Amino acid sequence: MSTVKSNDIVLLQNIKKDYGQGKVVTEALRGVDLKLAKGDFTVMMGPSGSGKSTLLNIIGGLDRATSGKAIINGQDVGSLSNKALSLMRLNNIGFVFQNYNLIPVLTAYENAEYVLMLQGIPPFRRREKVMNLLQVIGLDGLENRFPRELSGGQQQRVAIARAVSSDPQLVLADEITANVDSDTAQSLLELMSSLNKNNNTTFLFSTHDPAVIKFAKKIIILKDGMISDEKTSSE
Amino acid sequence: MISKTLMVMRIAWRSIWRSKRRTLISIFSIVIGTGLPTFTVCLAWGFYNGLIDDVARLMAGHVTYEHVEYRNSPSNDLWVDDIQAINSALNNDDEVLLTKQMVILQGVAHTAKGAIGVSLMGIEPLKEISISFLPDSIVAGQYLSQGDGRWAIIGDKLAERLNIKVGKKFVFTTNDINGELAEDLFRVKGIFKTGSSAFDSYVVQSDIDFARMLSGLDSNATSQLGIIVKNPDEHKKILEEWQNTLAKNDGIFLSWKQIMPDIATMISMDRGSLIIIMIMLVILVQFTMFSTILMSVLERKREFASLLAIGTKHVELNFQIFFETLIFGLIACPIGSLLGVGALKWVEGYDMSKLVEANPEDMSIGGFAMDLIIAPFFSTSLILQISIIIFLLVLILGIIPMFLVSRISIVDELRA
Repeated sequence: MSTVKSNDIVLLQNIKKDYGQGKVVTEALRGVDLKLAKGDFTVMMGPSGSGKSTLLNIIGGLDRATSGKAIINGQDVGSLSNKALSLMRLNNIGFVFQNYNLIPVLTAYENAEYVLMLQGIPPFRRREKVMNLLQVIGLDGLENRFPRELSGGQQQRVAIARAVSSDPQLVLADEITANVDSDTAQSLLELMSSLNKNNNTTFLFSTHDPAVIKFAKKIIILKDGMISDEKTSSE
Repeated sequence: MISKTLMVMRIAWRSIWRSKRRTLISIFSIVIGTGLPTFTVCLAWGFYNGLIDDVARLMAGHVTYEHVEYRNSPSNDLWVDDIQAINSALNNDDEVLLTKQMVILQGVAHTAKGAIGVSLMGIEPLKEISISFLPDSIVAGQYLSQGDGRWAIIGDKLAERLNIKVGKKFVFTTNDINGELAEDLFRVKGIFKTGSSAFDSYVVQSDIDFARMLSGLDSNATSQLGIIVKNPDEHKKILEEWQNTLAKNDGIFLSWKQIMPDIATMISMDRGSLIIIMIMLVILVQFTMFSTILMSVLERKREFASLLAIGTKHVELNFQIFFETLIFGLIACPIGSLLGVGALKWVEGYDMSKLVEANPEDMSIGGFAMDLIIAPFFSTSLILQISIIIFLLVLILGIIPMFLVSRISIVDELRA
């Protein structure tokens, strides 16, 4: 395992990703350079097929780049074994998926507790943390409900609680407003924005939704597998 | 670690009840897969054990002590002596239920109707009454009593061929132990019918003292010493011990399998074919189980992918699947065993001859009729063995879904 000292949570250098073999090769990413500092609230936009999800997967250690260097929280993910990648995801990264991907047989509380359990946090600390978190995200009183008993917005809140419960350095959110109405989307973004401000958690969003932009500190436009534009909110 | 394990177990437990119908089908298939072999094997083993025990008690015991050459040529001049000392030692052995001495004489029985080759068994009537089913097979007259002298019992087929009835006489001619011709008059005290054509047309029983006198054997010698043991399945261990400690130079201890190899072979073949049929049945049932487990895992691939994405290790997912199959096995195998035992209890004592509508003589192994009254073999170890084998097979079935999960591509599944 190689470790690189850096102040950046995410440091990508000339990341390329090809799919397919032989003559039929699709270049999903064609040399992406990116830096995300701690506390960033970054939105990644671009048309379908521009490489947003692929980039998110590489940053999250779910996929490996064909070439280039991806350093996440000081670790070169390209050199990590699958087991080490799994550990890195557990301890450093929170995921929020478009389809929530909650464990259907666990309650809201248990879903939020799951990652803490994997990390071996003692029961009393888990309980304290999860109950506080559920209160913060507005699911107070719904902790014993199963995902099927919750609305889409409530499920996405549970997913957010699960993603941030272990205080990860980085939260990756893939199209999280796609399956909820605009009011719910607004409240979810406000929630994540407040978590970003209060906990200094770094967020990286992949989205088509223009409503997300107003919360962004940094916006990245991806086109044809490359970053075509990058600007901060003041711009 | 404990919390994590409990969480994985909780997920596994709740996951299997997500699709109740599928879970019930899986459990049902394992219940059948355990119950049916339990029922069939215990039933068949009961028939075999009953037959072995009946024949052993009727003939020369579970273990027989006889002359080393007697098996090759069962002639009248091959006997074992010093039998009282051996008998006494055996009766002090905890493994021994009872011993019985028999003088076997090959000869000819004749009446005015004709002459037929027979085997005269000189027996101890009191012991036979306590262990053999022959006294209950008397269809005319009475069974022998101690000191009955020249009274004899014969099979119904022999009686028919010799054309004699109870109270009538026949002459038995044989050779004594010195090879001299010996002949005496017997009177029929009873006629038996065992259902075994060979036995009913060939065997004559009389009191052992009279048979000894006819053959010239003294009271310390006999043709065979039959030993009824408490646990017929364990007799192999003691056979060797007795051979080393009790047998004389010309004597040998043999198991019932060596004494009645035709019955042993038939039972062994019958058992073998039954086991093959059971294996095929279990494979079919397990296939149902396997397909439901596989389906349950494959339709959760996306769920597994998201668990892997948030940091769950493959080994934890594999443990979850293993635990799901473990639950199936732990629930279904005991139910299957209980169901099998319950069904056996239900049919216990039922007379199969009504069902198969067959003559008992047609239902025989090695010339000895099987008792068609159902008497299952209730052996805890046998029932547990069947249950454990099915349980292990269920666990093995979980390996393929585990393998499939270990090959899940997180990105592909989350994208799907």
